[in-house]
Amino acid sequence: MSDSFDALVTALADDELIIGHRHSEWTGYAPHIEEDVAFASIAQDEIGHASSLYSLVGGGSGPQVDALALGRQPEAYRNAVLCERPNRDWAFTLARHWLYDHADDIRLEALEQTSDSKLQQLVTKIRREERYHLLHADYWMKRVAQGPVDARSKIIPAMSAAFAEAGGLFEPFEQEDQALDEGWLPLPSSVLLARFMNWATSALDELGLPGGSEAEAVIPAEFVASSSGDLIAGEDAPVEEPVLPAGVGGRRGRHTSDLAGMWAEMTTQYRENEGARW
Amino acid sequence: MVTGASALLTSEQIEARIWEALQEVPDPEIPAVSVIEMGMIGGVHVDGGRARVVLLPTFTGCPAIAMIEEDVRRAVTGVAGVAAVEVETSFDPPWTSDRISAAGREKLRDFGLAPPDAAPVLITQIGLPVVATCPFCGSSDTVSDSLFGPTPCRATYYCSACRNPFEQFKQV
Repeated sequence: MSDSFDALVTALADDELIIGHRHSEWTGYAPHIEEDVAFASIAQDEIGHASSLYSLVGGGSGPQVDALALGRQPEAYRNAVLCERPNRDWAFTLARHWLYDHADDIRLEALEQTSDSKLQQLVTKIRREERYHLLHADYWMKRVAQGPVDARSKIIPAMSAAFAEAGGLFEPFEQEDQALDEGWLPLPSSVLLARFMNWATSALDELGLPGGSEAEAVIPAEFVASSSGDLIAGEDAPVEEPVLPAGVGGRRGRHTSDLAGMWAEMTTQYRENEGARW
Repeated sequence: MVTGASALLTSEQIEARIWEALQEVPDPEIPAVSVIEMGMIGGVHVDGGRARVVLLPTFTGCPAIAMIEEDVRRAVTGVAGVAAVEVETSFDPPWTSDRISAAGREKLRDFGLAPPDAAPVLITQIGLPVVATCPFCGSSDTVSDSLFGPTPCRATYYCSACRNPFEQFKQV
């Protein structure tokens, strides 16, 4: 397949790997045993999806899965910024889990119509597994949103913080215009973003949670940038670029220092034991 | 002589022997059940001495996949008439829990895992509450504890009758 195919699949896989790694950080620390097991299992699913997606890069004959997952520098990752944020607390973890898995469902539903048969088959498989994540996230969100005062007082600011950056999941990926021209990509990110915002607005309403007004204010106008847009990646870019809306930049390799920290830990074994297999 | 005899085998005969050999390959995490009974074999193709086995992973994140691939390769390599083996991992069709055979479901139960339904599951039905039968006492008086369990393919339940926690092979 083409460069644009590799770019999209890598970005999707990076999202899954990075959020999967964050979820895995709850292992041994979650509020109770079922959630320890649940997040470990969800993490394993996401990292498995990342692995299967990486294996499609380069038409299956590209760099090995481990080299893509662990052998790149932080700025080469194309995950959305929301995925790399630390878990903070249980409320933020749940809010991000809920937003991420619903956003993922919206893009996978669209991608299931791709003309690339290998990707289509994998997405069909992934979507069936992801049902468990959606049910888990919905269950928790309903519980804490309706829950006692303490739960609501924690989930409201957590949701607001996560939602403010969730639009970054639909930042156009590199070579998206080319992918649309080539015809294998069914829908542009801008359409998926609109679907996501519609879903989120009514879902938050239903839960009786505020609709994240900050996010709505910054996202739509800024998000039509084409893949050849002006979000420049690179080492020389200043750390604080005032032009980027919240949560945007990850698809161009513009990450926060949160990624560098987790990258160092995530890739330790790979870097210290060259060629190791596990 | 094995080589002399195998030269006379037809592709159909070799294929039949490969299926027999695969019946001996267990799922490493559930050794009571073979990869055939788990519905993980998508197809066996024989062309001359070349064998190709299509393997359908149960869950994409299953860490046992590489091990199963290796076990399948080893088992098929030992079949008379097979000179070369290719094991292809595929999602076409995606593995679904209704692929587990009746014998496989029986063995899961004996192993202590409640089997998934025999019927195909629509994507919209996945993960919805099901009445899981306790594999220890046979009671249906059970409650879901978590959609997740110690492996990606297992959910946890509690039996109100015999008061044991148990696991169910997830419907997917």
